[in-house]
Amino acid sequence: MDFSETAERISQKVMSHGHAVEKTAIETKLRRLVEEFGVPLAEAERTVTNEMAREFSISGLQAGGPGEAKTLDALVPGEWVTVECKVVALTAPPSPSISQTGIAADQTAAVRFVVWSRANAPVLKEGNWYRFESAVVDQYRGSVNLKVHSGTTIREVSGGGAIKPVITPIAALRPGIASVRGKVIQEWEATHDRILQSGLIADETGSVRFVTWKEEGRERLNPGTVYTVFYATVDEFNGRLSLTLNTATVVPEEGDIEVSRGDASFEGAFVHLAPGSGLIKRCPVGGCNRVLSRQNYCPVHEIQPNFQYDLRIKGWLDNGEETREVLISRAETESLVGMTLEQARELAENTPLGMDEVFLRFRDALLGRYLSCRGREIDGRLLVSGCTRLRFQPERLADLLNRAGGSA
Amino acid sequence: MTNGTETSPAPRREGGFEREPARRVFAGELRESRIHFKEGQDEKSPSFVLLPTGARCNRVFFVGTLTEKKKQGEQNLFYRARVVDPTGTFFVMAGSYQPDAMQQIARIEPPSFVAVVGKPNVYQTPDGAVLISVRCESITPVDKETRDQWVLDCAAATLDRLEKGASTPDGERARKEYGMDPAIFRKMAYEALAQLRL
Repeated sequence: MDFSETAERISQKVMSHGHAVEKTAIETKLRRLVEEFGVPLAEAERTVTNEMAREFSISGLQAGGPGEAKTLDALVPGEWVTVECKVVALTAPPSPSISQTGIAADQTAAVRFVVWSRANAPVLKEGNWYRFESAVVDQYRGSVNLKVHSGTTIREVSGGGAIKPVITPIAALRPGIASVRGKVIQEWEATHDRILQSGLIADETGSVRFVTWKEEGRERLNPGTVYTVFYATVDEFNGRLSLTLNTATVVPEEGDIEVSRGDASFEGAFVHLAPGSGLIKRCPVGGCNRVLSRQNYCPVHEIQPNFQYDLRIKGWLDNGEETREVLISRAETESLVGMTLEQARELAENTPLGMDEVFLRFRDALLGRYLSCRGREIDGRLLVSGCTRLRFQPERLADLLNRAGGSA
Repeated sequence: MTNGTETSPAPRREGGFEREPARRVFAGELRESRIHFKEGQDEKSPSFVLLPTGARCNRVFFVGTLTEKKKQGEQNLFYRARVVDPTGTFFVMAGSYQPDAMQQIARIEPPSFVAVVGKPNVYQTPDGAVLISVRCESITPVDKETRDQWVLDCAAATLDRLEKGASTPDGERARKEYGMDPAIFRKMAYEALAQLRL
């Protein structure tokens, strides 16, 4: 085996730090490790390099050649890597120990990166290409992350031209960085002061919640509009995904897309009608729509005497093995229970029990019935867009008789 | 009942809460159950009845004919009712802790098809006999079609449990503890189904 090339590489590095070293001595060390101890050459090179580094007290001496740059889709947590990529977004660092955070992308993928303050790294500029040598790949909240520390060398490079980000279907999203094309189908009331906007974005394959945190230059999205979202951060929390748009470049699109109506479904007996079903009053303040208490009190907008009536069903379906919470909105509720909103309102106004009377009628019409519900599943709850009452199937009786009698 | 108000939602799945499914079981099988157990030390952890076909059940769902109801007690008013399916009788109870169910029973005139959701309990009488009664969460009048659908559903669930046999931990335990011939329950399901053809 020829060790001269490897030995040459090591001695070059050591000499570049101003120390004289015997190339043949290095070659002997390598040969001994490989031939006598069966160490793979790459590992031997690292061992010898480290030994030299210790001997001459050189820090940051790395084994290997200039290093093959890896593509971002090939990163594995725990590795030290060399990558060439473009900084496509910069975000506000969450802590003083971090000098810069953002997203770096190449033709294959995009990752979040973190530059530690102690790294003394040059300030990265959005839109430029850089070569990161000896950056560390690790994992943060389930997604791959590139860390720049004091041993990393960063050099601006001419770059690989324009990047065409890969659009991920929403159903295929995983924690990390992703670009999606979808329509904003719901906008939710902010649950926190720092939230600029949150809601649901959907494409042909599914839907996902999104959030934009308040930050300068960030704008709200228009419900009903299709957007291409480049480099959003996909986080996972309690087993569900969420898109954070603060890292993203969001471009409105012309036209419309067919969004998935949700392909979750569940069949079973209706075993529980939950409070809050039947005739309800909603807050009339634009975009609020919260359910009011009996005293017409909205948790946010207080007393609202000019409420709007609505009908809905909240409850549980049960197939004997599993249960599913269902939420059925007005249109489906009316046909399932056989009572329109107008009829429910009249009933409530003309009976002593008022809105409770509607609840009781709903209970009598629904409990124990076998239903089939289709819709979108969010947080383990089925938002029903289609619901039918199941019927007795004589052919099923014949099958079961065969099954029960078959081996009796 | 707090219709019209948004009560705080039950803790979600991630909080460890999961609604216990309501098992489909014929009266003839539930009557044979003896083992009542609880997993976990917590006061609130669910208790289960082990069915002879091998499934734990914290809740049951059945549809049958309400044949009799009886009001009992003075201060602690409660109802006892009998609900009959093709294989036997369920003993149903609704007390002051189940006000909605109690009001429902009060309004139903037997005989009537009813759908019942409730929790089974095993009691031992002073003379040593074992009684299973179902504390009901809801009891609602339904039509005959729903009853027929339930018989199919329950027969299918019973056959599923029999086919799984001792391959599940609960199935194995049931075999060991009850030692009953699975053919009994297969026959029970067959006869329940056969009655639908009449």
